[in-house]
Amino acid sequence: MMRFATLLKHPADWMAAQNEETSVVLTSRVRLARNIAHAPFPGWARKKERQAVRESLQGKLESLPGMKDGFSHELSDLDPLQKQVLVERHLISREQAARSEGSGSVVNRKQTLSLMINEEDHLRIQAIRPSLQLKEAYKLAHSVDRKLEGSLEFAVDPKLGYLTACPTNLGTGMRASSMLHLPGLVLSDQIGQVLKGINKLGLAVRGLYGEGTESLGNLYQISNQSTLGESEEAILDRLTKVIGDVARYETQARRRLIVEDPVMVKDRIGRAAGTLTYARIITSKEALNHLSMLRLGADLDIMPGELVEICDRLFMETQPAHLQWSAGKKLQPEARDILRAQMIREHLHSSLPPAIDISGKEN
Amino acid sequence: MFYTQVADGKLKKFVLCEACAQAKGITDPEGLLMAEELLGAAPPKPEAAGVFPFESQDKCKGCGFTLEDFRKVGRLGCPDCYRAFSGEISQRLPSMHKGLSHTGYIPEGLVKQQALRYELSNLTTQLESAVSEENYEEAAKIRDRMEELEKGEEAVTS
Repeated sequence: MMRFATLLKHPADWMAAQNEETSVVLTSRVRLARNIAHAPFPGWARKKERQAVRESLQGKLESLPGMKDGFSHELSDLDPLQKQVLVERHLISREQAARSEGSGSVVNRKQTLSLMINEEDHLRIQAIRPSLQLKEAYKLAHSVDRKLEGSLEFAVDPKLGYLTACPTNLGTGMRASSMLHLPGLVLSDQIGQVLKGINKLGLAVRGLYGEGTESLGNLYQISNQSTLGESEEAILDRLTKVIGDVARYETQARRRLIVEDPVMVKDRIGRAAGTLTYARIITSKEALNHLSMLRLGADLDIMPGELVEICDRLFMETQPAHLQWSAGKKLQPEARDILRAQMIREHLHSSLPPAIDISGKEN
Repeated sequence: MFYTQVADGKLKKFVLCEACAQAKGITDPEGLLMAEELLGAAPPKPEAAGVFPFESQDKCKGCGFTLEDFRKVGRLGCPDCYRAFSGEISQRLPSMHKGLSHTGYIPEGLVKQQALRYELSNLTTQLESAVSEENYEEAAKIRDRMEELEKGEEAVTS
């Protein structure tokens, strides 16, 4: 089994893939909610019952193909910082991180597959792919589902489908979502309209970390709302179409901006580059917003192309828990802001060296 | 009212309130045959076809979660709560989902197995009542049918 430190050393393969297609749609995720028939859901089960479900699941999950050299832990064995790191990587949910004994996480080495035990449901199978590949992600999650149903009795009703702790997940138990970077629509003030349109189509839009989180760094998650009454394929088709449309609007908005308002766009990108290369103290929120502009600059060929990948890495690694993990200790917010600024400068140095070295004797 | 029927060596006892008896035509001697039809062969519950009856119990027998708990937190206690609180849940589904019935993937073996189990539990109840009515001929028939189904279940699960 892979150690936590090893897991963290490697960026997930969906983080590393950089190409044309990831310029707007960064990642696609599909998760399936499954429950063991007749067993109380984790939120209502006694500690003992939760443990029994975890024990019966964990071994089966670990022996799935591709999991042998994966990561598998009971969450109560991890400290709060480690759990937070997993949340920032989207490998467990915020909700699961807050859960107590009996909760577990099994992740494959490539971090394309994350299995959550006793989150809101007994089991959540999550597959992650780069760019707009919802169907590929579903295929992966579905293959795991099919392997497991041979040896587990999932709670299914022929009319209601998979029975879940919350009726909002009933039916397919499937939530499919993509993470989109939409600076063009934000800068051109079209984002409100687009989000409204998405909502009207019965789809949900959320910020970086799902439900109830604000949008940072112009990152938005689009996902299906309804899970009952449509087949997985129909849901994925509709989502793929809508997300593809939004991505096209974004690309058009960027093109139009650079033609119609080049000074404004370059001003925003230039200020972001200036701040990121010279700042000594930077909050997570400020960093995300500037990194978003810098990434836009790279996508528009105003900035060196390799910055796309660097920005994506920094999106992840400058998050509070990742930062503290790399420092090897818990840090106060002020210390984090200093370390974050330093990490960003180091990563940007080869592509975007500062004109003047102001470091002096600070370090 | 009490109602006893003897037919083909079968003895059946029923206790019915007057309104039910009237509704089933038992007060009318000519209606007795109809009563037999109604009471003897209860139609299979819609559940067998996957449709939960519209009912809301106060409490789920499986896990002890209450309807009030559900109203408070919006989540359920166990998969069997869907049956216990089906009335309440079915009212909420239209505002959550595109449709009311599942059209997506379903594990085939599992559905067959669950339908079999449901029928088995129905037959167990029927068997108990046949025995308590000393209707041994009927009981034997039910037992044979159950054995048949159990063999079928093994075939599905193995």
